[in-house]
Amino acid sequence: MNEFWTVTGFTFRNKVKGKAFLITTLILVLILSLAINLPYIISLFKSGGSDSPKTIGYASMQSDLAQSSVTPTLVGDWVKEYFDSQPAGQRKLKLEKIDGGANAASAEAALKKALTDGKISGYMLLEPSKETGFYSALFKSEKMLDNSAVDELKTALQIVKANAAGLTAEQKTLLYAPVDVKALQISTDGTAEDAGRTASQQGVNMGMVYAVLFLLFMSIMATGQVIASEVTTEKSSRIMEVLITSVSPLNSMFGKIFGMFLVGLLQIAIYVAAVLINIQIPTNREALGNLDIHLSDVSPDLLLFALLFYLTGYFLFATLYAAVGSLVSRTEDLGQAVMPLTFVSLAGFYLGIFNLANPDSMLVKVTSFIPFFSPYVMVLRVGVGHVATWEVLVSLGIMLVSIYVFGWLSAKIYRTGVLLYGKRPSIKELRKAMKAYKI
Amino acid sequence: MKPLIVERVVKQYADKTAVNGISLEVDRGEIYGLLGANGAGKTTTMRMVLGLIFPDEGRILYNGKPYTKQQLRDIGYLPEERGLYPKVKVSEQLVYLARLKGMSAADADKSLKTWLERFGVPEYYDKRVEELSKGNQQKIQFIATIIHRPKLMILDEAFSGLDPVNVELLKSTVKELRDQGASILFSTHRMEHVEELCRNITILHRSNEVLKGSLKEIKNRFPKERVMLAADGEVSGLEELPGVLGVKRHEHAYELRIADEASGRAVLRHAMQQSDVTRFEIMEPTLNEIFIKTVGEKHE
Repeated sequence: MNEFWTVTGFTFRNKVKGKAFLITTLILVLILSLAINLPYIISLFKSGGSDSPKTIGYASMQSDLAQSSVTPTLVGDWVKEYFDSQPAGQRKLKLEKIDGGANAASAEAALKKALTDGKISGYMLLEPSKETGFYSALFKSEKMLDNSAVDELKTALQIVKANAAGLTAEQKTLLYAPVDVKALQISTDGTAEDAGRTASQQGVNMGMVYAVLFLLFMSIMATGQVIASEVTTEKSSRIMEVLITSVSPLNSMFGKIFGMFLVGLLQIAIYVAAVLINIQIPTNREALGNLDIHLSDVSPDLLLFALLFYLTGYFLFATLYAAVGSLVSRTEDLGQAVMPLTFVSLAGFYLGIFNLANPDSMLVKVTSFIPFFSPYVMVLRVGVGHVATWEVLVSLGIMLVSIYVFGWLSAKIYRTGVLLYGKRPSIKELRKAMKAYKI
Repeated sequence: MKPLIVERVVKQYADKTAVNGISLEVDRGEIYGLLGANGAGKTTTMRMVLGLIFPDEGRILYNGKPYTKQQLRDIGYLPEERGLYPKVKVSEQLVYLARLKGMSAADADKSLKTWLERFGVPEYYDKRVEELSKGNQQKIQFIATIIHRPKLMILDEAFSGLDPVNVELLKSTVKELRDQGASILFSTHRMEHVEELCRNITILHRSNEVLKGSLKEIKNRFPKERVMLAADGEVSGLEELPGVLGVKRHEHAYELRIADEASGRAVLRHAMQQSDVTRFEIMEPTLNEIFIKTVGEKHE
């Protein structure tokens, strides 16, 4: 056991101290931080780089003052009132009343002047429309304003139109109250007692499943490759000969796998920390909240099983990568040798990703019990599908048994492989060698 | 009880016999030479001694007991092809290797520093192996073999790739370890090293023992067929003497091959008639000649 920890410690220290670890970790932390801050950053750019609402001008005309009907000036006042009544943070536009002189012609001249003076960034002209019986608006500005400003104006005019129709306050409230439609995912097989998941919970879980699948796939690919190449390097540099006379192959192999596992764990911990810290930044919390993403919506059993399947999946693949690494004498040949493993891992990943939308298909059900695939597929079922607890446990049990079987097999291959040099041995040659070495 | 006894071990790889009934015994404070052409079965024998592969027949005893994992800690192995982690610091990997052999980290560190000092390279402590020259990597590898003070050492081509000064340095270290009671199984192609270091040897040829015993005995078994002759002036007509099989003219001497020791007398007489003889020696066969004779003959 002592040997095991010595190997683990050595592997861990060497990897963590390496430049590669530092650089890849840093880059990923930067990318993650950027991704989380993206909604906020985009929102900054949307409002033209400043928080202050844009000022739009409208004219008051003396010709309107004499009339008691709904004049352009009055509509402009209503729109101004509408924007002024919005909370300051959400206000996108601000209306500015410009004294337009006697009539429409002098009004436009005054507005143009205000625009040139920089008092306003655009202005609105209202003309009576025969088709609707209300006014149609013309929005003029020197620079193209984003569509959202036009939309805002449209909404405002839509609302103030009700004023023109002479509706009471109650009628207006009734008219503009949004109709609430909610979707709830429920289970009918009676296994889950919870009251179902709402759409946003469902979305968060789906995102979580996606993240877990991706993380597992990346870890297996990256760490597996590293383990295999470490073994091959040790073999090709012949330090393996010294090592196996010092430490049992089993300890050497599992020590290395566990050491790399700790490295991976540390890396993931750093990523998770980076994500959590970034989410805690108030601006981001607000931005994510606006997108209806709440981390508390992740179901706890998804987290638990994701962790368990992540662990078992990692160890199952890692032992095989180590075994493959032990068969290859030169690092150049390694890529080809690990290809089958990579394909199996890739297949599991795709099974998970492509079935995010239909997690209850027969294919998914069957593959969720097949080791190598189950870490991906079962996580999918737990996250977004319907699955009974016993099914998850059976699948987990199958994983544990496979780890034992493949771990044993890998240890044997490893023990034999590290002594075989030259070309990659065939299965027949390997079996012969195993017999010859009495392993 | 001898530290290492190998009894008639046989190892078969599929249809090929790699080692066919080899026996040897290494005493405390003894260096045992294991010689043989490439592919003669040396590495397989060493691997069996190391417990990496198990013999099909025969047995190997360590201090009278069969192989257990515990014995690995008392063995130091210097593989023929050198292997260290190229990108890891000398101190880190040697302490690591020593710890795998059951040494404490502090103890290993102290031992490493002592040895680096001994070899005159204390500045390598913080260097990565890839920064060192090949000869210096060799020194580090040698330290890796002996850092945990093994009682049994297996040195496969210990001095290859070293300059003469460093060969002497390592040779004297090996001798010192021998004098401290270590048992050393030593394999090399450099016969002069064997002559200098080994008490007993085994020559392997195509998986079989072809010569075995103490170096002295073996040499006595071979006839003395070589004469070195040096004289002040020219000596002519050596070729015509009876019993002389060949003459090689060196810069300051003649080297003659003779049929038997008795023919030497005629050579000396002949030479003295022509000039003053400054050197006359009937040479012992060198191990090199013995090796080529036993292994080379069977090649045909």
